[in-house]
Amino acid sequence: MKVVTGVVGNDIHVVANRLIELSLHARGFEVFNLGVNTYLEEFFDAVVETGADILLISSLNGEAEGWSREIKLLKSKYKNLENLVMVIGGNLVVGSADADTIVPKYKNYGFDLVFHQVDLSTGLDTLEEFLKERNK
Amino acid sequence: MSLLQEEREIILGNEYVDNFDFAEVEEFVKNASKDLFISHHFKTKNKMLVQPRGGFPTYKKQFALNEFFVEANVDVLPLTIDSNTRLNDYATAKKMLRLSEENEVDMLNGYPLVNHGYRNTRKMVTHFNKPVSLRHGTPDARLLIETAIASGIFEIEGGPITYLLPYSKNFPLDKAFLYWKYVEKVCANYSLLNEPINRESFGPLTATLVPPAITIVIQLLEMLLSLEEGVKSFSVSFSQTGSMNQDIVMGAVIKKLAKHYAEQINCGDASINLVYHQWMGAFPTNKDFAEQLINMSTVIASMVGANKIITKTREEASGIPTKEANAKTVANTQYTLGILNGLPNIVDKEEEEIMTLEVHAIMEAVFNDPADTLWRKVFNSIKNGIIDVPFSPHIINHSEMITIRDAKKNIRIIKRGNVPIPDRCFEYEKAQCDLTKDTTSIVNDIIHDIGIMQ
Repeated sequence: MKVVTGVVGNDIHVVANRLIELSLHARGFEVFNLGVNTYLEEFFDAVVETGADILLISSLNGEAEGWSREIKLLKSKYKNLENLVMVIGGNLVVGSADADTIVPKYKNYGFDLVFHQVDLSTGLDTLEEFLKERNK
Repeated sequence: MSLLQEEREIILGNEYVDNFDFAEVEEFVKNASKDLFISHHFKTKNKMLVQPRGGFPTYKKQFALNEFFVEANVDVLPLTIDSNTRLNDYATAKKMLRLSEENEVDMLNGYPLVNHGYRNTRKMVTHFNKPVSLRHGTPDARLLIETAIASGIFEIEGGPITYLLPYSKNFPLDKAFLYWKYVEKVCANYSLLNEPINRESFGPLTATLVPPAITIVIQLLEMLLSLEEGVKSFSVSFSQTGSMNQDIVMGAVIKKLAKHYAEQINCGDASINLVYHQWMGAFPTNKDFAEQLINMSTVIASMVGANKIITKTREEASGIPTKEANAKTVANTQYTLGILNGLPNIVDKEEEEIMTLEVHAIMEAVFNDPADTLWRKVFNSIKNGIIDVPFSPHIINHSEMITIRDAKKNIRIIKRGNVPIPDRCFEYEKAQCDLTKDTTSIVNDIIHDIGIMQ
């Protein structure tokens, strides 16, 4: 399966990004890593270009919320993205908040899976289970 | 008029520069006090020079910080530039400087040198009469460096590779090489007037598991690019790796090879110095532990035989340090250096040989690139992955190399990518590591490694 991944916005946390790429690759995904400082349009363009099944956005500096509000609007401008699995993970707020309030908010923005301060391998395990269920 | 001078006049005709007087600046550099030149201190002082980090937006606060440093017996004053200036956004820097001056709140993370101008800044520099080191991170530093030298700042940090690959995703690398070529030429020309202007490369790079061979190669290449333009005083640098042995070996290899490669291009007359950065990774939040870490770094710098040490502070984990904390590190570091006597001479022949072979092999591959000039060879080598910096965010970087720590915390290469690490060296590196681990546990090790000193 193909995954497009990257860090959204003016966020240069490259170590996490590289580790996500390594881990996805080790789990057998075909990875298209757009790296840090990636804007939403670039993510969706890359999904169309590569025919990716999954879009995995990461964010560490708290910018994700600002960007995520625009996702539904932007996504609606693209064709054939109904089956795209949308995942976001990292540190999803500025300051602190618990997952109970954050997860529903991001699901409402259009994400299927939301990982706020969840460790990488747990997150990817959950993704793999989700994909298994979905393809039954 | 030479092409360089034409370019200089365009650069200095910038609307944020208040009438740059070339003849006056030349006269100033010619007659400047020797004490302002770090190259002079390297030659005459028989001790490791201590330099902190620091930059505040307003003249007043920067002046106060320098007073604290001088009180703490500093050897070299830093001048760290704000991030707007680094990106050549002088308009924003100007606005934020005014806000900082009016509200007593710092709206910039450093000193906006271009906006302050050389006439003002020179007053501060000559008042303290200590060498000042310019710390920035600017790919296009042409205007900044002209302003710095006119201010009496005679040490310029940075370089086209070390100020780009760790900091930028897509600033064009070829442009960075050309902008830095201008900087080297300007530094070289001013060096003819008095003591030499010292150039320093930024060895820490991404400060995340960068293997010694890559750091050394990049240090040597930036040194050569600088010397070939006529710079006569250059500092190579690296930061604490996490293994004392690896630091010592690295110091020995980089000193030996810097001399070797400088002589290869007939620049053996240039003076080459070694700078050591105290731990550049994540710091403990416990401030007392932070001081222990800083102290240990100082001891290792002495074992390495560095000519200058760049310090951290006990407040590293919590943001920009206060002037009090910053000056405290300077005083503590000077104290430690004063009592460190009778250091043993540690030599690890096998490690030195492996590291030397790796550096030679990569350097040879760079020189063998068919391009006609050194900067193009280096550019091509980065583009095709002969040089690969772990965890660089830049799109041109290959990011194929994988490094981990062995049991003794040495940084080892377990995947070479396109970097021409000789087979024998690669086998040696891998033999020190536990290679039975799967990717998930390697990834977990790397995550753990980020907090290794916490």
